[in-house]
Amino acid sequence: MASSPCNSYSEPPIIEQVITEFFAKSLHIILESRSPFVSSRNYSLDHFASSPSSSSSSSSSRPRDKWFNLALRGCPAALENFDLWRQSNLEPLVVDVLLVRQSSTMDMTRLSPGRCLLRNPSGKDKFPMSPRQDELGTRSEKIIERWIVQYESRKNSNFGKEMYLGSRKSSGVSHHSSEIPTLYKKTYKRTTVMLRSLYLFVRLLPAYKLFRELNSSGRIRPLSLSHRINFFIEPFTQAEDAEMNQFSFVPIDTPCGRLCLCVSYLPILEDVSSEPSTPLSTQFIMDYVGSPTTDPFKRFQSLPSAGLARRHSWSNDHGGMPSGSPSPSPTYSDSQAVHYNPTVHLPPHHLHDQPRSAISIPRNALAARKKNTSFEDYLSSFPFSAASSPFTPTHFYGGHLPNSLLRSGSAPVSIPSSRHGRNCGLLDQALPPSSSKPTRPGYSSQTDLLRAQNTSASRTSSPEGKLQTKKDPLSLGDFQTGISSAKAFSFGKDEAGTLPGLKCSSTCIPLSRSSSRLSLLDGFDDSEFDYPFADDEDTTESCNRLELSEGKDQVSLNLETRGLVPVPRSPDAVVGALVRMLNTAPPLRQDLSNSVRSSQVFRDESWIPRIQHKEDMEAEVEKSESPVSSSGITASGLPKPRTTADALAELRSYKEMKELLVKQGGSQSSDDNCKDKSADRDSS
Amino acid sequence: MNCETCQLKELVVEPLEIRDVLRCILHTIVFHRALGLVRPKDVDCELFEITYVQCGDAELERKIDEKIDLFIGWVEKHPNKKSQVCLSFYEVRNKQATWMFSNKTERLYWEQWYINLHVINTKTHGKSHNSKAPINPGDNALEESSSRRASLESALHEVLFQIIKFVNEKKDHIPSVTNSEVISFPYEITTPSSSDSSFGWHTDVLKRMLQTGHPSMLS
Repeated sequence: MASSPCNSYSEPPIIEQVITEFFAKSLHIILESRSPFVSSRNYSLDHFASSPSSSSSSSSSRPRDKWFNLALRGCPAALENFDLWRQSNLEPLVVDVLLVRQSSTMDMTRLSPGRCLLRNPSGKDKFPMSPRQDELGTRSEKIIERWIVQYESRKNSNFGKEMYLGSRKSSGVSHHSSEIPTLYKKTYKRTTVMLRSLYLFVRLLPAYKLFRELNSSGRIRPLSLSHRINFFIEPFTQAEDAEMNQFSFVPIDTPCGRLCLCVSYLPILEDVSSEPSTPLSTQFIMDYVGSPTTDPFKRFQSLPSAGLARRHSWSNDHGGMPSGSPSPSPTYSDSQAVHYNPTVHLPPHHLHDQPRSAISIPRNALAARKKNTSFEDYLSSFPFSAASSPFTPTHFYGGHLPNSLLRSGSAPVSIPSSRHGRNCGLLDQALPPSSSKPTRPGYSSQTDLLRAQNTSASRTSSPEGKLQTKKDPLSLGDFQTGISSAKAFSFGKDEAGTLPGLKCSSTCIPLSRSSSRLSLLDGFDDSEFDYPFADDEDTTESCNRLELSEGKDQVSLNLETRGLVPVPRSPDAVVGALVRMLNTAPPLRQDLSNSVRSSQVFRDESWIPRIQHKEDMEAEVEKSESPVSSSGITASGLPKPRTTADALAELRSYKEMKELLVKQGGSQSSDDNCKDKSADRDSS
Repeated sequence: MNCETCQLKELVVEPLEIRDVLRCILHTIVFHRALGLVRPKDVDCELFEITYVQCGDAELERKIDEKIDLFIGWVEKHPNKKSQVCLSFYEVRNKQATWMFSNKTERLYWEQWYINLHVINTKTHGKSHNSKAPINPGDNALEESSSRRASLESALHEVLFQIIKFVNEKKDHIPSVTNSEVISFPYEITTPSSSDSSFGWHTDVLKRMLQTGHPSMLS
């Protein structure tokens, strides 16, 4: 180390590190109290501490959250992003806190997500803050706070002259290397105190109250908070400047410069409580974490609504108006490239009152797409890196989503594999258009969404169409899978995970996969979201793997037996698995926890005799095809009374399965005998 | 080393507001002096729309609540009086036994915060107002109470800003951190004691002065 560390007007490395971390910590403190997605309460300090942070702090043995002895929660992604884009400590850090007002007349479903932008460090390219006007409607932003954190080098500013000429006792022109440890301790202590003050100060400003109101309210408001990070200071207009109050923290002297922190803020903000707001239905809250909306495929379906990014928007918006319509609309028009996942079709505002997860990911993706900046996507996706699932899929989505994807369709997606299409079709079939007695409030919205999809003319592959056009021996397996999936996605976290049918369907059918996520209300397995688009390919592969697996569960067996996966298996094995399923199925019950199994058993028991009399029933089946109602289970998961149409639909499906067995098999008689025996066993 | 003193703006409080106000102010001050590893805990005032920050140290919380209870007890015996709560930070120094005291350690106060409170009892204070509006005395009392509460909230805000400004302006007097505890420096909360007169805190101040001597002697 040089004897005179300030000869080159550069700070000693250790002081440089303090400066860097000061910037990061300041940003963290500010964002934590202004951006809901940053203000995570789910991150443990250990998690934060264990995440390696980039840039200079990564070389420090001290975890980032421990710097300045102020352990904060969450948001490592935002800080990493900051580290990536910040070129030097000489650049100021400017954080603008924006109050965003959305017009109430806009099409909620067309609001795009993502209001967090990181301007190009060069300052030349300014990414538009607002998505296209035609899609967003009226959206106005107002800077309510501007935080400026900067390091003034002695060389580059008049401050340097003051340092030379002034009589500051705490700083000197040159410092010997032996003084560096003392200087470091002094600088570190002062910086620590300043950051304590900052932590308190951000909570005293009016914007904090607004943040709290928007963050905690269960209502959809036209106002939302956003933030914008710049590395240059864009001067206020005269009018803006006149409105603002200023507060400057006393600069901290360093050996070769000083650290400055100041804020301009509006002393009076709009009263959020006076704004018209829409109460969020509790049904939206129920489903968010682990809901289909957190599933990447489901997220596609819910992309159009910018309002999704309300409070928990990792696009830095919260508390804003719902961009999604209260009911699913035909705006989900084009889902061609996306696996159909009925559970995805949740009304946009279904996602509003959810913890900071995937709500705004669709919005962000839309915005990013429009703005054509992968960096923005990266930035907007960051707050979730430590969170859970939504982050990675959003990152994927943000940069690559076509318009069609973003306005995800309501109808089943034309999945490349015909099996999937059939699955989806039957899945649609499994869910009746009207919900009844939703077990959890959220699911009625899902059902509504499905209804909208079912009735939407945007896709030719309507559930009925799928059912009719894709007659194949799917029947039992599809039906059961669909049922189990439907049940899963209609269940809460305590239930869906226990459904055996989900195991296979979770690998083969996106809905089930997302249903399993739906079941995890309080956080979900990040690994599930690591490869959101990989499901498109992986589903096929997983089904293939399923083929090869030996009857791991009933649904997998059904997939195979119905020819969904054309892997040759002996009919005896198939029938054996079927028999096992029938034997192990619990008796019919009306309570939710057993509804799937019981419904399966109910159906099994009901159609087994009918299969024997299939010839008699065929006519009835053909006469009354009611694919949607055949499930007997509503989206809410409560088994409703079976109708003849339901039974006939089941019979038809089982009949198809039987035909498949016969074709694959051996003799019909051996199959019938096996089925007879199982029927007798079950009926006894 | 100088002893920096900060006289906070006087707050007019009701007995029921004492706890909230004192907790807010005391925790705010201590948070600035807790230079050990802190996991800040945001706390909302019960009576005001103010969020302050605690260090998360249970012992500190207990001690502060204890002192507040003492102060409230004193206020009950001395109603409608102006009083002070003093929060002091000191260093412990070994000292030669003097002729007066045999203490071998002394406290070197390097920072003192005086929280000035004027405790009023609205029942006794508000009689004159109520008599002017015999029709709706209850409504008037409510209005006055809410406006007084609002002005107290605003004043409390100002006090917190005052603390932040003071903390930022004066940093040179802070001693070095020599331990890894959350609250890096020993502190003392002084309240008027029951045995004292209305200006009884003077006794404590005198006692401290005798114990520590003049700060300049110990620099």
